Amino acid sequence: MRFAVRLLSGLVPLFAMTVFAQDGPTYEDILDGFGDPERWLTYSGDYSGRRHSPLTRITPENIDRLRPIWTFQTGTTTRGRGFETTPLVDDGVLYVTGSNNFAWAIDARSGRAFWSYRRNLPDDLTYGASAPVNRGFGMLGNTLFMVTLDAHLLAMDRRTGDILWDVQLADYRIGYAATLAPLVIDNKVIVGISGGEYATRGFIDAYAPVTGERLWRFNTIPGPGEPGSETWPDDPEVLARGGGGTWMNGSYDPELNLIYWGVGNPNPDYYGDLRPGDNLYSNSIVALDADRGELRWHYQFTPHDINDWDSNHMPVLVDTEWQGEPRKLVMMANRNGFFYVLNRTDGELLLGEPFTATTWAREIGPDGRPVILNDGSRGCLPDPWGSTNFMPPSYNPELELFYVTARETCATYVPEEPDYTPGQASFGGVVFIEPDGAGALRALDIHTGELRWEFTYPSPTFGGVMTTASGLVFAGDHEGNFMAFDAATGENLWHYQTGSRIWGAAATTFMLDGRQHVLIPSGTTLTAFALPD
Amino acid sequence: MAGGALFRAQCATCHGADGKGILSIDAPDLTLMWARDGVNDEYVFNVVRDGIPGSIMPPHGFGETEIWMLVAFMASLVEFGGDADFMGDAGNGRRLFAENCAECHRVGEKAGGVLGPLLTGITRRRAPDALVQSIREPSRRIERGFRPVAVETDVGESVTGVLKNEDAFSLQLVTEAQDLRAFRRDGMRQITRLGESLMPVFSEAELDAGELADLLAFLNANQ
Repeated sequence: MRFAVRLLSGLVPLFAMTVFAQDGPTYEDILDGFGDPERWLTYSGDYSGRRHSPLTRITPENIDRLRPIWTFQTGTTTRGRGFETTPLVDDGVLYVTGSNNFAWAIDARSGRAFWSYRRNLPDDLTYGASAPVNRGFGMLGNTLFMVTLDAHLLAMDRRTGDILWDVQLADYRIGYAATLAPLVIDNKVIVGISGGEYATRGFIDAYAPVTGERLWRFNTIPGPGEPGSETWPDDPEVLARGGGGTWMNGSYDPELNLIYWGVGNPNPDYYGDLRPGDNLYSNSIVALDADRGELRWHYQFTPHDINDWDSNHMPVLVDTEWQGEPRKLVMMANRNGFFYVLNRTDGELLLGEPFTATTWAREIGPDGRPVILNDGSRGCLPDPWGSTNFMPPSYNPELELFYVTARETCATYVPEEPDYTPGQASFGGVVFIEPDGAGALRALDIHTGELRWEFTYPSPTFGGVMTTASGLVFAGDHEGNFMAFDAATGENLWHYQTGSRIWGAAATTFMLDGRQHVLIPSGTTLTAFALPD
Repeated sequence: MAGGALFRAQCATCHGADGKGILSIDAPDLTLMWARDGVNDEYVFNVVRDGIPGSIMPPHGFGETEIWMLVAFMASLVEFGGDADFMGDAGNGRRLFAENCAECHRVGEKAGGVLGPLLTGITRRRAPDALVQSIREPSRRIERGFRPVAVETDVGESVTGVLKNEDAFSLQLVTEAQDLRAFRRDGMRQITRLGESLMPVFSEAELDAGELADLLAFLNANQ
C-alpha cells in the first residue's frame, strides 16, 4: 500500500497517469488553488486563506433560484458544538470528516457515500471529549490526512478509507487532542494540536506524507533559555504547561515559503499570576520557515492573555497596494475584538482597529501593543469565545473587503488559582457570561478597518464566511440559516433554514457537470445546493 | 479539592459559574435539573462520570469521592429545594387560580391558558419569595420564551404576544389570543420588544397576603 502511495505522490513516470484514472491531486494542483473549478483541494480552497472562489455561475441576480439538491445525514453529532468540517472535492467525490472522528467519501452528484470510516476512540479522552469535532481532511494524491481526538495523525487511502499509517502527535491522556484540517504543502503535512485548557505545551509539526515520519516540530512555548522564554517566569514547569494550542489550521505563502499559524491561550487561561510576562508565543501569529519549522517572525495580539482569547484564526494572505506600495499582507480578525493587517514578510503591524464594541482596548499603541483601557474592572469584556473565533472569514479582492462573523458579548472573569491534575483542565477561574449577546456579519475596509456594512443576527454566531467572484457572500448563523448577501452592499439576497446552527463551518463551492454547487455542513447534515438545470 | 472549587475548575466553563448554563452551547441550567422527575444524586453522579455521548459533556476521570463532592455542591446550587411550608388553604387557592390565573396558566392536568408558563411543580423549582415577586411584580424577571413583543405588519395588522423563537428572518409568537403565529421580518412595519410583561400586576388590592398564601398552597399541591 505504501508503495502505491509513493507511486502516486509525484515520483512516478508519466505512464502512471494513463494507468490510474484517478491519481489525485499533486502539490502543484493544490498550489494552483482554484485553477480547476471542479476541485476544492485544501481547507480554504487555496493556500491564501481567503476562501474566495472565482466561480460566477451563481450570481446576485439568479441566487433566488438556488435550491438544495441533496442532504447527507452523518448520523453523528456534537451537541453544544457543530459540524465544523470543510469537505474536499475532487473528480466528483467529496471527502468529508465529521464529529467523533467519523469520515466519508461521498458522491457529489447524489449525496451517496462510497465508504464511511469511524475511529475506535478510547473512552478516556480529555480535551477531545469536550470538543469532539473535526475541521476536515488534507489530501495529496490518493492519500487523505486526518487528525484525531486522541491526538493522532492518520493517512487514509481515499478510495477505501483504509488506514495507511497512524502516528501519535502527543499523549491525549495529559489533555491533548487534534481537530484541525491538515495543511498539505510540498512533501509535508502540517498539523497543530489542541489542549491549551490543560497543562500542555503547544506545537506545530510537519510530517512526511508517505511515511508519516516527523520532519520538524515548532514548540509554541519556548524551552528554558530559548528566545521568548524571557517573557515567562524562569521555571521549566511553567513553560512545560504553558499552553499555546495550535488547533486551527494555517495558511501558506509558497513564494516566501512561510507558514502562517495562530497560537492559542497560555495556561492557565484566566489566572495570570502564575505566569507573569507576555507569555510568548501565546495569542500570536507565527511565521515559520516551511522547510525547517524555524520561526521567522511573530506578532502577539494579546500579551499576557487572561481571557482565553486564543489567536487560532485563519490568517488571510493578500497582495495589494498599501499606502501606495505593493505589499504582501496577512490579515486576521482576532478574538480580542481587533482587526489586524501585518506585513507578512517581516510581521510589521500596519493596522489594528476594533471591529466590535469591546472596551478592552480601542487602539494599538506605537509599540504595537494594545492600549488596555479595561482589564475587566471597568465593565464586562468579550466572552472567552471572543469577538470572533476560528470560523473562517473571507476576503473579496475586487472590493478589498474583509468579511468576518462578529460576536458582541459581555462577560465577567473571576480568576482562581488552579490545581494541576494530569488529564484535568486548568482554566484558573470562572466566567459569568450575560445570556443576551448578539452577532453580525461585518464587512471591513482592509485599509482602515472601518465597517462598510453589517447584517445582524439575534445571537452570537459561530458560522463562517465564503465569497465568490460574482459578488456574493455566503454565511451561516447560530439560528441555522445559510444565507447569501450582496458583497458590496450587504443586502440579504437568499436564505435557507438548515435546521441546526452553522458552527465553525463555512461554505464550499465547485463546478460539476456545468453547474456550480455550494455545500454547507450544519448539525448532522451536509447539504448541497445548485441552480435548477 | 472541595466540590465548589472542583465545580469552578471543571464545570463552570460550560455550565456557568452560577450553574445556570450557557444557552449558546446547550449547556443546561443545573439549578433546575434537580426539579426534574427521575433526577437524584445517583443520576447526577453517573452523568458526571460517564458524560453524555453525542454532546460536549465529556466523561470525567475524577475519583468517586470527588464526584460525590461535586454532586453535593450542585445540589446546593438549586435555587430552591422545595421544602417550604405552605400554610394556605389550597381549596380557596384553586378558586383564586381559576379566577385570576387560568386564562394564561395551567397547572396539573387542568384546563388553562398557554400564554404564561406551565405552573405544575413550580414550588419545587422556585422559592415562595420568588413566586410572590413574580405575582406582585411580573415584569421584574421575564423568562426567555415569555418575553412580550408587539408586531405591526405591512398590511396594518397589530399583534401582541410572547416571543417563542426568532432568527434573522422570522419571529415565532404565542399571541395574546393564544394562537401560534409566525411572522416574516420583511413583512413587518415595526417590531417592538415590550418592557412590561403581558401578565397583570397583582397588588395587595387584587390579591391580599392571605389569598396569596392560598394560591401558593394550591400550586404546591399540584406537583
